[in-house]
Amino acid sequence: MTDEPYRTIIEPFRIHSVEPMRMTTRAERVAALAAAGYNLFELHSQDVLIDLLTDSGTGAMSAEQWAGIQRGNEAYAGAPSFYRFLDAVTTLFPFRHVLPTHQGRAAEKILFTAIGRPGLVVPNNTHFDTTRANIEFSGAQAVDLPVPEGLVPSVRHPFKGNLDVAALDRLLAGRADTVPLVMVTVTNNSGGGQPVSMANLRAVREVCDRYGKPLFLDACRFAENAWFIREREPGYADVAVADIVREMAGLADGMTMSAKKDPLANMGGWLALNDDDLAEQCRSLEILTEGFPTYGGLAGRDLEAIAQGLTECVSEDYLRYRIRSVAYLGEALEAAGVPVVVPFGGHAVFIDARAMLGHINPLRYPGQSLACALYEEGGVRSCEIGTVMFGLNPDGTETPAAMDLVRLAIPRRTYTQSHMDYLIEVVARVAKRADSLPGMRIVSQPRQLRHFTARFEPVG
Amino acid sequence: MTSPELPVTTGRQLGRRSWAEPWKIKMVEPLRMTTRAEREEAMAEAGYNTFLLRADDVYIDLLTDSGTNAMSDRQWSGLLLGDEAYAGSRNFYELEDAVRRYYGYQHVVPTHQGRGAEHLISQIAIRPGQFVPGNMYFTTTRTHQELAGGIFEDVIIDEAHDPQSEYPFKGDVDLGKLERLVAREGAQNIAYVSLAGTVNMAGGQPVSMACVRALRGLCDRHGIRLFLDATRMVENSFFIKEREAGYAARSVAEILKEFCSYTDGAWMSAKKDSLVNIGGWLALNDRALFEDARNLVVVYEGLHTYGGLAGRDMAAMAIGIAESVQEEHISSRIGQVRYLGELLDVAGVPFVKPVGGHAIFLDARRFYPQLSQDDLPAQTLAAELYLDSGVRGMERGIVSAGRDPKTGENHHPRLELTRLAIPRRVYTQAHMDIVAEAVQDVYASRAEAKGLTMAYEPRFLRFFQARFERL
Repeated sequence: MTDEPYRTIIEPFRIHSVEPMRMTTRAERVAALAAAGYNLFELHSQDVLIDLLTDSGTGAMSAEQWAGIQRGNEAYAGAPSFYRFLDAVTTLFPFRHVLPTHQGRAAEKILFTAIGRPGLVVPNNTHFDTTRANIEFSGAQAVDLPVPEGLVPSVRHPFKGNLDVAALDRLLAGRADTVPLVMVTVTNNSGGGQPVSMANLRAVREVCDRYGKPLFLDACRFAENAWFIREREPGYADVAVADIVREMAGLADGMTMSAKKDPLANMGGWLALNDDDLAEQCRSLEILTEGFPTYGGLAGRDLEAIAQGLTECVSEDYLRYRIRSVAYLGEALEAAGVPVVVPFGGHAVFIDARAMLGHINPLRYPGQSLACALYEEGGVRSCEIGTVMFGLNPDGTETPAAMDLVRLAIPRRTYTQSHMDYLIEVVARVAKRADSLPGMRIVSQPRQLRHFTARFEPVG
Repeated sequence: MTSPELPVTTGRQLGRRSWAEPWKIKMVEPLRMTTRAEREEAMAEAGYNTFLLRADDVYIDLLTDSGTNAMSDRQWSGLLLGDEAYAGSRNFYELEDAVRRYYGYQHVVPTHQGRGAEHLISQIAIRPGQFVPGNMYFTTTRTHQELAGGIFEDVIIDEAHDPQSEYPFKGDVDLGKLERLVAREGAQNIAYVSLAGTVNMAGGQPVSMACVRALRGLCDRHGIRLFLDATRMVENSFFIKEREAGYAARSVAEILKEFCSYTDGAWMSAKKDSLVNIGGWLALNDRALFEDARNLVVVYEGLHTYGGLAGRDMAAMAIGIAESVQEEHISSRIGQVRYLGELLDVAGVPFVKPVGGHAIFLDARRFYPQLSQDDLPAQTLAAELYLDSGVRGMERGIVSAGRDPKTGENHHPRLELTRLAIPRRVYTQAHMDIVAEAVQDVYASRAEAKGLTMAYEPRFLRFFQARFERL
């Protein structure tokens, strides 16, 4: 008899409901890919076997969340489901005002419509695609200030998501009057799902205080970030995840949120903040584009699912399983010689496509090429996070992104270890023929957020 | 034939055969009763704005028919069959099929609800300074048109502004008004014609097929686009079947498709006709305009194959669209609204006639002749009705009309109405009886009403969040 923990970390749940998947042949996938213009966003989901396009809205809800779906009250104004949602949010994030939105980008849209305008600059460790788009849409400039380690995929550092505090200080020293607020994205998605330390948040807060600037969190993956703080930062090993989350929130003046990530919901988001005047302005904007402030463009049932999900996602058993299962995938790929971003992030494993496909110029989109190859090989859908997503400047010119990554985002509680084992084989097979993969050329693209609808063709 | 020994149904008392719902109840939601004292406190706390009440304090919620519908068991099954893939969800293609089949448009962009679609169409189809003629304003529609730089111009027929006119198609456009606007401003300065069926602010009043056909001709002559707010177009189609010559033998589905065929596209809040709790779409026949919409939807709503909706909600919408055009459904739907109208008519309560598709609109001017419009009679009536019985309605008068964006002056709409919107498939005949008695009692004590004044006024769409004080 021993109380020593087992090495195998199992899922802290069993399966309540399943969804059949459709197998496809290589010939079918080749045809589907061509029909989609080599853009995986354009594939029909029925043609995808393992869908790692995103961890956003794709998680499996719990039986309790489904019970919330049944319980949802659909009153247009003042629904009890809203008050349950409000309670759950303010328990973790005690901000004065909480505005539900249909999803995260709507919260960003409202915030930056209220405070953005030409001439302003919004710093962040790394802006995510929709954040950047909403800031640029307002005429303001989105500036990334990651720590240098965050830009080198192969460097191991416990908090590669940190914001470069010295760079922030320099920016504010030069042009404080043009910065309406400072943002920190936890975890840093575009930088590989890397966490931000409490010490870094505290240092950013101190700089913000010195210049009198509000600090907003893009908090989509707050629970995963809090778990990394607990695991890696001195002094937090015995602190409950929920308390770490509250401490993070306590350092900020507001947050934008997509409930489709850590809160385990399929839809929803919110904007929360302390400033009364800004909140009033945001509420008016919310009504225009989202819905009345007690439903924000969500069905009452979705507010219930978010409220329940918020209590589940800070569970330590859940987070241990979640983070461990992502690392399982990462370790296996590393062992197979695939260049991956280390240490492994919270929600995804990021393959360094620029390193893996060294023969492809970044402006020929090595990430897009690799993502297409993974689909063709095994029906795996991943997402390019690189020059396709970030390379197009507002003036129409193109520059290579800092990194060319392919993200294998793991939906929460959806896939099993055997799905991951299959995936590992698919990646390893593609890695063997990496040298032969073609570059890509854009055939047509929109002016903004081109990665969603651009069409490509292989070159060479 | 009625026998005097038998209890007499309400239908018999009203001199007709009773109707019944073409479904039975599968899942219920308990209601909470409140006392007058609790309601006094709740109403004061809500600043005499029914929008600011907690739903738990409401007995019968007629605030809106938007998103408050009861879904069918098939729609609930659709929720479980939701495919939550971020891109290319199966449910998107089901929705696209349903819109193509029943509304007939080529390209479909889902949005999280109707105002998301209004936002998109306004942004892509209006150049600043252009006019947007329409058959009476709707609150969110006009606000989006104005934010895009458009100038709304009301071209509805005059009968629409007269709550006592029994004209069968009070939603029709006055083609003369529209021709004069085009002559005055030039066709190039008209962004598009914004046609709503039915017209909510006029009392849920329908547009005739003859009108939309003539509009199509006018628009073709001048090269102007015609877009439809299809939110309650199924209800509109039912009225055409009932009232317009030549349509009695046609199905509601056929009428809907013919009506849409005269327009270039539509935006939709599926939370009304389509029997869902969330969702909307923008549909367009023009490929280039669709590309614009598709590129913009991703900024505001979500990727164009989910538009800010869970896959399950697109599934429920696709099923709801098919259910919404069933003749038994739509006739029972409108039958229930009419039933409430009959009960109020018998008691002499003033309301907009003929009864519209989705709501009874009480005529607050005639209800409270002692109040001037600046004393907010419709807001007052909504508050009094809640205080009396826990029934929640909505102001549709001077507060909803807002201010002129140029002059800053209050609009003074001719219609000063309190809307009792009936959610679809939610309340029973007994609930309607309660509502009728509540309105009758408030009408009996109408002389005591003193009116309200606005204490807090938000900048946009003020009716949602404004606070009031008693005069």
